Amino acid sequence: MQYLYNIIKADYLQRTRSYSFLITLAVTVFIAYSFVPPDTAGYTTLSASGYRGVYNSAWVGYVSGIMTTVMLSFYGFVLVNSGIKKDIETEVGLIIATTSLTNFKYLLSKQISNYLVLLTITGITFMVSIVVFLVRGTDQPFILANFILPYLFFAIPALFVVAALAVTAEVFLGKRSILQFIIYFLLCGVCMSFINNKGGNDSSGVFDPFGLSLISKSITQHINTNFHENIKSVSFGFIFNGHKTYKFFEWEGLNWTSVFIFSRVVWIGFGLLLIYISSLFFHRFDFNQAVTNKKKKLQALASLKPVQLINPAGITRGILPPLSFNYGIFPLIRTEFLLLIRQGNKWLWLLNAALWGAMFLVPFDLAYNYLLPVLLFLQVTRWSELVTKEKTNRIHYFAYASYKPLQRMLPAQIIAGILLAISLSLPVIIRSISASNIYGVAGLLNGATLIVLLAVALGILTGGKKLFEIFFFLLTYAVINKVPLTDYLGSLPAHHTPFFILTVLAMNLALTGVLFLARAYQIRHL
Amino acid sequence: MALIITNLTKKYNTQKPALTDYSININKGVLGLLGPNGAGKSTLMKIIATISKPSSGTLLLDGADIVQKPDTIRKVLGYLPQDFGVYPNLNAYEFLEYIAAMKGIGGKRLRQRIDLLLEGVNLTADAKRPIGTYSGGMKQRIGIAQALLNDPKVLIFDEPTVGLDPEERMRFRQLISDLAHDCIIILSSHIVSDIETIADEVAIMQDGKLITHAPQYDIIKQAEGRIFEVLLETNTLNQFKNQYKVIDTARQSDRIKVRYISTKDNVAPESISVTATLEDAYLFLTHKNG
Repeated sequence: MQYLYNIIKADYLQRTRSYSFLITLAVTVFIAYSFVPPDTAGYTTLSASGYRGVYNSAWVGYVSGIMTTVMLSFYGFVLVNSGIKKDIETEVGLIIATTSLTNFKYLLSKQISNYLVLLTITGITFMVSIVVFLVRGTDQPFILANFILPYLFFAIPALFVVAALAVTAEVFLGKRSILQFIIYFLLCGVCMSFINNKGGNDSSGVFDPFGLSLISKSITQHINTNFHENIKSVSFGFIFNGHKTYKFFEWEGLNWTSVFIFSRVVWIGFGLLLIYISSLFFHRFDFNQAVTNKKKKLQALASLKPVQLINPAGITRGILPPLSFNYGIFPLIRTEFLLLIRQGNKWLWLLNAALWGAMFLVPFDLAYNYLLPVLLFLQVTRWSELVTKEKTNRIHYFAYASYKPLQRMLPAQIIAGILLAISLSLPVIIRSISASNIYGVAGLLNGATLIVLLAVALGILTGGKKLFEIFFFLLTYAVINKVPLTDYLGSLPAHHTPFFILTVLAMNLALTGVLFLARAYQIRHL
Repeated sequence: MALIITNLTKKYNTQKPALTDYSININKGVLGLLGPNGAGKSTLMKIIATISKPSSGTLLLDGADIVQKPDTIRKVLGYLPQDFGVYPNLNAYEFLEYIAAMKGIGGKRLRQRIDLLLEGVNLTADAKRPIGTYSGGMKQRIGIAQALLNDPKVLIFDEPTVGLDPEERMRFRQLISDLAHDCIIILSSHIVSDIETIADEVAIMQDGKLITHAPQYDIIKQAEGRIFEVLLETNTLNQFKNQYKVIDTARQSDRIKVRYISTKDNVAPESISVTATLEDAYLFLTHKNG
């Protein structure tokens, strides 16, 4: 087991020793702090038809625990599902493939490493929840068990399954990140829907990986009994409802049943089963079986050709045509755009085309509020690679040593990214123009620019693409749920104002300044 | 054309500087950089290529300060880094057009130029395939082609022959000789024979410092009379290594021929003095200063 420990340790350290992880932790502290909003906040994270628990140990501990479980279950998958991909890129996988390490042990090490990354974040939110209680809590006694138990029985088993699903997705869907995100997102949606619909029949909470149904049932029963109400369920998540006056009640947490605790063990067993099944299909870094027919043809073609040597004539400088200088950035924009288009799988363009066409046909609100954010999110890996691909592909030596890279290369990348965003938003832009919705058009152009600038800024600052992917994932989720603060496309009527347009414009300008400064430093400090 | 480097120092976050007070004048022709791993060769090349900023010191290209005005050299620079990559989804034409755009060259005859360069590195037949399907040697050749795209006056090759087979290496050497007439070529390699064949001048580096910089002949001369060969019994080799700096060994039936460095008054019995090569001189000088 010692060697397995060493593999897990190395993998964990490799993932966590990065600026992007540090930023993730910083963001985690901020988000965890917001799980329990102050009385003056215009939002809540657990809404029960005008009722809210007093901030005692149970309320703060359980709300933090459940919010951590749900949120990390969503974005944790995006955060950790690149462990095997990293081994492919670095070619460490080839070395691993030649060792006696079994597929199961390798995948288990990846799963545990994923799990440890998620638990590190969970540990932070746990500590922050205690701090929040001390800050927000009234005169209520501090009961440690009310903080530990929700994390122990909700977060720990659920995240084990998330870590396993991330490995399974990588095994079966390889590098198709977008497809992995979509399927996982749908899976989570189905799971949530099942919990909401069947929660009433599942009093034990056995089939609920997040533990939402138990808390929902306990709180509704408490309110209905004490206040003679008929509330069916409670809502979780960041719910922006303005400053609202609540009726308060004292909730003391859950009575844990042995059936529920045993079900958590079963969920962990389910995670292990997923790893075992994945190990039976794992490619073990031999991709011959996975190459497409086209690649097979190309490889066959290459193998038929004799070994080619440099032409005996070589390169004679004298015969090369004279140079024409062209310091414009159009050729760079063209190639950057080409790279954006070619990135990812071709099937995704079918989906893009379908959504793009649908945006002309469906009701305007549906196109603007739902289809467009989803369509833009589907390009997440294109934009996240916009300025990170040089380093990933080790082209940065050429790029940074080229003529005026800051004034030519970086603007070309940004413009290509924005062009793609605007092209995809065209149906909504055209419909906004035809409806004389100038604020809508300005909001869309601003939003398209903002998302590309965010991708570029986060890519430059962190040197990786993960942070932007997670951020965009959460942003899209929030936009679809109409969280006003995250309405970067300006789709909400309240945002059809010059103030909003100017605010986003100012953000774009500030981001542009930051990313240019950061890149200016990078290109001289390789 | 001349590149004058004066008192160049580069410190990373570690205590030991990568380059210390490094000064050298580089003129037209081929300068071969030799040195053990960690000597600072790649750091020096990165600084000349403007992708790393020195902690102190000056670099003047024909009098222009390239630390302050990096675009002066970028216009005339051809750079082949040690561990460069490619965009796998682009084919050779698209990739070279992209690099050309980065370098600020275009025009109607760009395509013709790319055609000739691809022909020169024998990639014409594969030019429309995605580069992701290329072998290591083919990628190295596309790297050579990109370095020559802008008719460079300063060419930097960091370990350029890695991945090339023996015949490709020979052709590459010919190419360098052809280019050396009217530009500065700085070449680093672990393969001393490559430097020996190509370089007019050699600079030997160690621990971030310049040990020596001179024409090849003068460098070899420094080791003359210090290189010897002797035939030994196999079982005495380890003991011999404790006494002398062994350069090379070759098995000869039941004995072993050993090439080593020594002073004339401390030569092992039955040794013969041999003509020094650049490799001998390199090992002699790095051993002496190590």
